[in-house]
This record gives sequence, C-alpha cells and structure tokens, in this order.
Amino acid sequence: MKEFAVFWGCTIQTRFPFLEKSTRIVLDEFKLPYRDIDGFTCCPEKSLVNNIDHSLFVATAARNVALADELDCDIVSPCTGCVSNLATVKSELNYNPVDRAQVNSLLKGIGREFKGTAKLAHLVPFFHDAVGVQRIRQKIKKDFAGMKLAIHYGCHMIRPSHALKNDDPLNPKKFDNLIRALGAESPDFPAKMMCCGQGLDRVDQHDYALQMARLKLKELKAIGADALLLCCPSCFLQFDNNQFLMEKEGEKLGVPVIYFTELMGLAMGYSPEELGMNSHRVDCSGFMKKWDGLKAKPVDTQSLEDELNKAGALG
Amino acid sequence: MLDAQLNMKLLEMCSGCGACYSICPSSLNLPGYDPRAVIKDILKGDMDKWLASKSIWQCLECHYCLEMCFQHYGFENAMTALRTIAAKRGLHPPQVKRGWDMFVKTSRLGEPALPARKKFGLPDPPKSGAEEFKKLHALLKEAKEKDARKAHNE
Repeated sequence: MKEFAVFWGCTIQTRFPFLEKSTRIVLDEFKLPYRDIDGFTCCPEKSLVNNIDHSLFVATAARNVALADELDCDIVSPCTGCVSNLATVKSELNYNPVDRAQVNSLLKGIGREFKGTAKLAHLVPFFHDAVGVQRIRQKIKKDFAGMKLAIHYGCHMIRPSHALKNDDPLNPKKFDNLIRALGAESPDFPAKMMCCGQGLDRVDQHDYALQMARLKLKELKAIGADALLLCCPSCFLQFDNNQFLMEKEGEKLGVPVIYFTELMGLAMGYSPEELGMNSHRVDCSGFMKKWDGLKAKPVDTQSLEDELNKAGALG
Repeated sequence: MLDAQLNMKLLEMCSGCGACYSICPSSLNLPGYDPRAVIKDILKGDMDKWLASKSIWQCLECHYCLEMCFQHYGFENAMTALRTIAAKRGLHPPQVKRGWDMFVKTSRLGEPALPARKKFGLPDPPKSGAEEFKKLHALLKEAKEKDARKAHNE
C-alpha cells in the first residue's frame, strides 16, 4: 500500500482531538502506512472561503495537494469536507489547463507545484476499498450483531461525484457494507441521505440548524436506532453538540452519535475511555450497556459470513 | 481570475427544468427557500433584492442538485455566485466574516487544542503552513491587481 498523509483538518484538531485519537488507534491497529505532513492549512472550508474568493479557495487547496504530491504520497482524511474540497479543486485543475497554469505560476512564487498526482480518499471508502471488509472481519474481537446502527453518510463523503468518484452519489453502499461487516443492522429511513444541516450554523441561522438536526434524530427515535453512525466532524458537531443543546432546553432525544473510527476501535477491544468517547456531549452509556449485554451471548457469525461472501453482496 | 460567475445560458435551461427541487434539503425543509423564484429574478436582471436576503446563505452546498442536474451545473453554482457578489458588498453574515478573517490571518479556522492533545497522548501537531500561505495570498492579490489594471487599460 502506498504511503498516505492524514489530512486532519481544522475541526478535528481544534474541537475534537478525541476523534484524532480513535483514528490513530485504528490506523495503527491495521498497521497502515500513514504519516503527518508539516504545512497543511485549512483545506479550505468551502462555505467560508469559496463564497468570498474562489481564487484563494483554489490556490489554498492546490497548495495542500502539492505538499503531498511533492512527497509522493496520497491523502486520506477522516473529514468529509476536507476530502471533498481538495478533490473538487484537484479535479478543476486537472481538467482546466489554463487555470492550472495560473495556479502553478502563483505556487512557483512559494516554491511549490501542483501536479495533482496524490490520490485523495475519505477514511470510510478508503477502508472499504484499500483495507477491505474481509480484513476488517479478521481483526474484530466482538462485532455488533443485534445492534441497529443508523448511518449518516455526510454529503461530502460521496459528492460531488465527478471529483470523488468513490461511490454512488445518490445511493451509496460502502459505509453500509462496512457496518454490515461489523455485524450491525444498517436500517433504511426516509432522511438517511439528507444533509445534516450544520452549514446553517455557520451562517448565523442556528434555529434552522436545530430544525434540521431534530428532523433526522426524531426519525431515528421512531425506528429504534441504537446510535447514529457517521464519519464527519461537521456532522458530528451538528448531531452531538446541537442535540446536547436541545437536551439542555428540555428536549431530550437521546440518540448517541458514534464516529466510524470509534465503532472500529470498540470492535477491536478498546474501551470507550481509551477512544475518548467520554468527551461526547450526548451520553453513550445506553449504547454501551446494550452492547455489553449482547456481548455475553454467542453470535451466529456463519450466516453473516455467508451473507457477505455471496456474489454481488458488496456491490 | 478564477471568479465565480453566473452562466445565464445554463440558468435559462435551469428555469425550465426543476429536477433538483424535490431533493434539495433546504427547499424541502426551510420555509421561504425557493430556488425557482431566485432563478426567475436573476434572468429578469433583478437579482439585487436577493443579495441581502438570508435565503442565499441557506444553500447547504450538499451538492445534491449538482448530481441531479442534467447540465451538471446545479443551482448551487448560482447561489455561490450570488453569495460572492453579496460578500463583495459586505452583506455576508457576521459569522462568515469572522471565519474568513481567521482564515486569512492564520491559514486555518482554529488552532490545535494542545492541552486536550496531551490528555489523549497525541503527538505534537504538524507545523503550520501559515507563513507560506500568507505569501501565497499576497501573490494572488498582486496578480489580481495586475489583471484589473490590464482590463482597465484595454
């Protein structure tokens, strides 16, 4: 496997260092060839930067990709926004020689060059494609059979598809496959593919952000999901932090929000404390209690193996 | 150089389609959010009334419309162009202004949380690229001014 730089992004490093912790634990467990790179800046965040100055959006992202190009490594990120923004610019420059020449004449002034050779991937499709469901199955000590884990993809894990090219942008499968590999049920629900709505918080429309969070969380209550599973710090902020704010106002929805790396870590035998899950705002103890109860029971793994191995099962 | 622009030809087609409205999370859930009305006004040359509205900031940039769009244009591109014009006139929300200021000053939207890193046993964060970024930003500004002077002289 080719070496890759982890693009942590601003939100994880500033607000959720425990998500970096669980990501590193999982990358180490699978002995994946990852590294840190000096000099990454904000990807940059689309709604704040692209809306004001598209050229700075492009130049900044191009510089970040150039840092990986130079070291001949790829980029993997546990943040959907970072990957999507970097990939959008990479694609724009790879298909527009004139823009690319303009950007490179700027980058030359700081001794860099955008080549666009570094491959960009989000952690979830990366685990699906480069690590693989079978290798994950071999690693887990205890799976989540008997748990109903509702997936929130996060728009930018899969869109825009012309830039990311990693899954079906309207009906994605890879996150679902991974959750099935961990033994859990991934239920369908009407708002499954709906945007989290966190963007509204960034433009001073907090009440609408809450309205969007509420919509999905209420559906999850209704279908009896044990947790909401995601892999994007912005979506995490929306569902964990904003749900907590609603709780404080007396509206308790009680849906634990679990990061993909935390779920993997739990399955490999790490404790919630080791994974930093006690830093969540919404209590995860109900989720842990149910899972601990299920751990005692022997699980039928053969039918799960059969299900995952049959033709077209992961398609 | 590399500016967000409205493509009137594509928007003309856009106004007769509507494939994206039934899937747009803001259209479905936020009262008064109506891309069709905005497109109509843009085509009439009457977009100014939208520039100070909350509406144009309610596009979540989820890219759903882009995926649904037969022209691969997507209503979001029209919204981005309107927001860019609004920002040039200083009409963008305070939080966007603050985010932008922090970004151009520090190259990121926040600094790594050092005490928490220590608590979790995380390694020292990689070095910041702020100095190089500021140089790049200055070069970009220079190039834009040069472009503007050239356009003015022509």
